[in-house]
Amino acid sequence: MQPIVSSGVLSPWEPGIFSLAIYVILILIFVASQLFIAVWLGVRKRTVEKLRPYESGIIPTGAARLRYPVPFYLVAIFFLIFDVEGAFIFAWAIAYGELGWSGWMQISFFIVLLLLGLSYIWRKGGFDWGPTTQKD
Amino acid sequence: MGADNPKGLTDRLLGGTDALINWSRKYSLWPMFFGLSCCFVEEATALTARYDMARFGAEVLRPSPRQADLLIISGTVFKKIAPVVLRLYEQMAEPKWVISMGSCSNCGGMYDVYSVVQGIDQILPVDVYIPGCPPRPEAVLQGLVMLQKKIETESPTRSIFHFEGGTQGSVKPILVDGQTKSRDPRGPGMEGTAIRGTSVVAPEFLDSRSDLMWTPPPRQIELNPSDQNLAQVLSARFGDAVQTTSPTSDMLTFQVAESRLKDVLHYLKTEATPKYQRLDDLTAIDESARRQPDNFPDYTMVYHLLSFDSASRVRLKVPLHHQDPTTSSITDIWPSANWYEREVFDLMGIHFEGHPNLRRIIMPPDWEGHPLRKSHPGRATEMAPYTRKEAEKLQPLDGGVYVKSAHGEQPLILNIGPHHVGTHGLLRYIAALNGEKITGLELEIGYHHRAVDKIGERQTWHQFIPYLARVDYLAGAANDLPYLLAVENLAGIKVPERAQVIRVMLSELFRLSNHLVWFATYAHDVGAMTPNFYTFREREMILDIVELITGGRLHPSWFRIGGLAADLPEGWKQAVDEFIKIFPQRLQEYENLLRKNPIFKARTRGVGRISLQDAMDWGVTGPNLRSCGLEWDLRKKMPYSGYENFEFEVPTATGGDCYARYLVRVEEMRQSIRIIEQAANNMPSGRYITDDYRYVIPKREDMLKDIESLIHHFINVTRGPRIPRGEAYASCEIPRGEQGYYVVSDGLGYAYRVRIRAPGFANVQVMPLMAVGESIADLIAIIGSVDYILPDIDR
Repeated sequence: MQPIVSSGVLSPWEPGIFSLAIYVILILIFVASQLFIAVWLGVRKRTVEKLRPYESGIIPTGAARLRYPVPFYLVAIFFLIFDVEGAFIFAWAIAYGELGWSGWMQISFFIVLLLLGLSYIWRKGGFDWGPTTQKD
Repeated sequence: MGADNPKGLTDRLLGGTDALINWSRKYSLWPMFFGLSCCFVEEATALTARYDMARFGAEVLRPSPRQADLLIISGTVFKKIAPVVLRLYEQMAEPKWVISMGSCSNCGGMYDVYSVVQGIDQILPVDVYIPGCPPRPEAVLQGLVMLQKKIETESPTRSIFHFEGGTQGSVKPILVDGQTKSRDPRGPGMEGTAIRGTSVVAPEFLDSRSDLMWTPPPRQIELNPSDQNLAQVLSARFGDAVQTTSPTSDMLTFQVAESRLKDVLHYLKTEATPKYQRLDDLTAIDESARRQPDNFPDYTMVYHLLSFDSASRVRLKVPLHHQDPTTSSITDIWPSANWYEREVFDLMGIHFEGHPNLRRIIMPPDWEGHPLRKSHPGRATEMAPYTRKEAEKLQPLDGGVYVKSAHGEQPLILNIGPHHVGTHGLLRYIAALNGEKITGLELEIGYHHRAVDKIGERQTWHQFIPYLARVDYLAGAANDLPYLLAVENLAGIKVPERAQVIRVMLSELFRLSNHLVWFATYAHDVGAMTPNFYTFREREMILDIVELITGGRLHPSWFRIGGLAADLPEGWKQAVDEFIKIFPQRLQEYENLLRKNPIFKARTRGVGRISLQDAMDWGVTGPNLRSCGLEWDLRKKMPYSGYENFEFEVPTATGGDCYARYLVRVEEMRQSIRIIEQAANNMPSGRYITDDYRYVIPKREDMLKDIESLIHHFINVTRGPRIPRGEAYASCEIPRGEQGYYVVSDGLGYAYRVRIRAPGFANVQVMPLMAVGESIADLIAIIGSVDYILPDIDR
């Protein structure tokens, strides 16, 4: 393929706020039309049974909002912690040439600290999941 | 012209859109994964390689009603499940269609019995009916094509664009008994005439012509020295409270006074020699319709015990006197008595003092009366029709009723089933969950109660045979054997050797067929899709052999009292040989898929354990018992039908976990093929049915040529053979465990009481023992490994 050199061949528009606006409007029209078609054409039957949650054909017991056990929360927190800290490492990795040895030392210290924390959680049983660990 | 006639233009425009929409719809139907009974096995087979329903654009069964637009009612619609069916239908996506598959769903079929709705069209609109019992997979495809044709005739565009006059989905009206449909099994117009046979059903018994026939007394057995010894010991120890019944047709039998029952049972379980460690069965007989009522109490409790040490059984009979009698519960001696006593309470109305949880188990909670009492109607057509109004009102109990939360905790209560891919049938688990851990598990059964016991009291001894295979629809002919053995025991009928070997061969073929389905579904349960596509190939080979020999697939109904319905056809040996040649190698292939699979091992090893002691106490049988390490197989320990002449091993495993159960079943398949090979190679010659035609249906050529045989044929086919007064119990090792039939005769053409000791009932009762403490995902693996089937649990 040959690169196009003549500037008059393609659209004379300069990229700018105007084209973005057009784009946004088109998107809005498209989304709205899709939603409208779905709402208008779809068969809607709002009967009691239809709106009831499906639970193997039985009327469910209790509410869906209940106190869930701590391990779920722990896993979420651990994920958050290690995920966010990954962001520091990525930031360092991009600039590691400029940061030099001192940066390397600092991030190493940081990673070692993370690993210590990880092993602590591991030994404390923070990753033990469900009934599988309680069996012999 | 179009401009002159705008209506025509619109019509043509809409017609074009209609065609387009209909075309899209008919080739992308989404059937729901919902099976009621036998029919579903054939429906599922229609998805496998040979029939390949995907060719017709309906390839994947959707597990949730939200994703489905086609409901195939495959099987018997029970009154207990009907509210669930209605809810699932309501929850399906719009527009939706309904196919009624099989005689039961069409009109109740052969199950004109109190627990069955006589046709789904009383509750739901039906587009297509597929006849058959069960319809073959090809019939499912035909039904689907018919539905596609029906969809072609719809005009959905008008409905979609909110115009008047469009049609889409099922719009047929629900049928009303007496107005738009007739529940009469003989068709409409016969309302004035009583259904044949009703006048001879209890409690009338008007002038039974069986009385005119003479038959010899029932078979009598000599008690062996060990039994004689036990009888003496019991009589010395308990005096008049225990009386030995003599003679008997099958086993040592005692009449025990209700007051000493628990002592006797306790003694037999813990101190007697030999010890009777297992409660084989517990049931009751309503004696109110006996033809010599003076000889009988109001009710009789019957206990069958089994000794592992001496491989023998003993029967205890306890007379009860009252309209609504009470007896003491034996749940403290055998924990397994729990469900058995609940069943007797539910169906017979006998109360058990000291039972921890005495409430209905089979029938819906709002049921009136006790169906197995002779005063309760047997046929659904004798009762008021079950309509949509009832299906909307009579809901299953709330899950909170079952789960008791301790310490004021509020566990998550989850219903798994009755409609669930993982429950392998209509069984409802109510799990209390703490996170993923199962802290409590309750089972609600009875959604598949076809009332076979009650049917046995009205069909003649021969007519009852078609119902047998349907008690465990994956084990086919293997089901027939225990019933036939019981009747043959009672009447002293000798079965020719050839018939015995053929019976063994077919039973083993069905064991393979059952285990292949189990293999596929179990692997599927723990996440391995592949075996599903392969094992059904060999299963089809087996069913082809079965069809060649018997003419049927799932339910051959080919065994007869005294032998078989016909001799082996030409070409059977070749077909069997071909199968024997390829099967071991194929099995090895499938085994390699699983046994070397780390995921499969991780999902099954150490999961769902049960100890040998628990398994024996709770009456667990079959591969589930052998996987706990006990080498106990009726085919070896108490041989029947000539199993003693075959060489095979009884595979066992240790650990009693899901993996052990897997190992045992796979090894059993290898042993089964050995037995089939021996049977096929050493097939004895001779008759296929006994030559004593007193009780049996004679060979056709004899019937046509010989007046004596013609008379027997006529009598035995019409009013049924007069089986002598008495009782007998016989039990066989069917694929799922020990299935026993207890038949009681009052000297008529049909049984006075038929009781099925089903392996599934006991095997499933221990589910909480295996599953509580495990994670919710493991429950599915455990269910798959136990290999139960619903009609056999609920009967």
